[in-house]
Amino acid sequence: MSGPSRKTYFLTYVGLLGLLLVNTLIAFVNLGWFSTVIAIGLATIMACLVAGILMHGFYEAKIVQIIIAGGVIFFLIMMSLTMNDYFTRGWLPFHTP
Amino acid sequence: MSDPLVLELREQFATPEQQRHTSSIGIWLFLMTEVMMFGGLFVAYTVYRFNHPQAFAQGSAEMDIVLGSINSAILLTSSLTMGLAEFSAKFGRVRLSGILLFTTILIGLAFLGIKFTEYYEHYQQHEAPGVWFNHVGPHAPEVQMFFVFYFLMTGLHAVHMSIGILLLLGLIARNMVGSFSAAYHTPITVVGLYWHFVDIVWIFLYVIFYLPGLHK
Repeated sequence: MSGPSRKTYFLTYVGLLGLLLVNTLIAFVNLGWFSTVIAIGLATIMACLVAGILMHGFYEAKIVQIIIAGGVIFFLIMMSLTMNDYFTRGWLPFHTP
Repeated sequence: MSDPLVLELREQFATPEQQRHTSSIGIWLFLMTEVMMFGGLFVAYTVYRFNHPQAFAQGSAEMDIVLGSINSAILLTSSLTMGLAEFSAKFGRVRLSGILLFTTILIGLAFLGIKFTEYYEHYQQHEAPGVWFNHVGPHAPEVQMFFVFYFLMTGLHAVHMSIGILLLLGLIARNMVGSFSAAYHTPITVVGLYWHFVDIVWIFLYVIFYLPGLHK
């Protein structure tokens, strides 16, 4: 298995610190719910850098990448179906006794 | 000294590469179960925050953004040293690898030290949930729920950090008796994956607990 070079490790580290700084500074600006979207988006990019480079996800065999994708997809299913329930409560005219 | 490769290649594997690959699949499967465990907590947090956005922003405003940001940078640094420890072992520089593993432990302990300082501050300000909680305002019960999630999720993360530090100590011990080489350093890779995963969890914990209160 090939892997990242030492330079790649350091560049990733600098990139992660930069994203952390940007994320923190943007959080001081009130953009409503969009603030949360940006914060989670930047955190996701940071997580991809850690998983892809530091954890070698980009360099791993297909089977490992499928396992990673499976974990992420099942988490998203859990999150989206649960939130779908909470978002849509009250949309339909059903009354509980 | 015996060749570490011969010592460590288990009989069920044909080659060291096959053994490494199997270990990699195993730890990734384990980490995905961790995704589901932390994932459940993230979902619960999201539901509560969706229902009580003001209270959660109020709770988040009580966080110490300076300590939180420093801790985030500290943990990212520990991921760098962990990655470099594995990188060094891969090229046979096992002594340097051991030093980097030890550095990772020290950085991890610094993280936990800051985290527990924060916990103590919250306790002193009556923000720890339960009988210690004393918050006035219209959203007091919901703010308490914010702190329930905060202590539960960061506490679970701290438990993972502590386990990681114990695993790193085990690696250092094995490194000192010459178990690792350029040909065989799979345990460093596996523990490294665990350590980086704990780092990823923190990246999201920082975002959901520390940032929402900044633009209240």
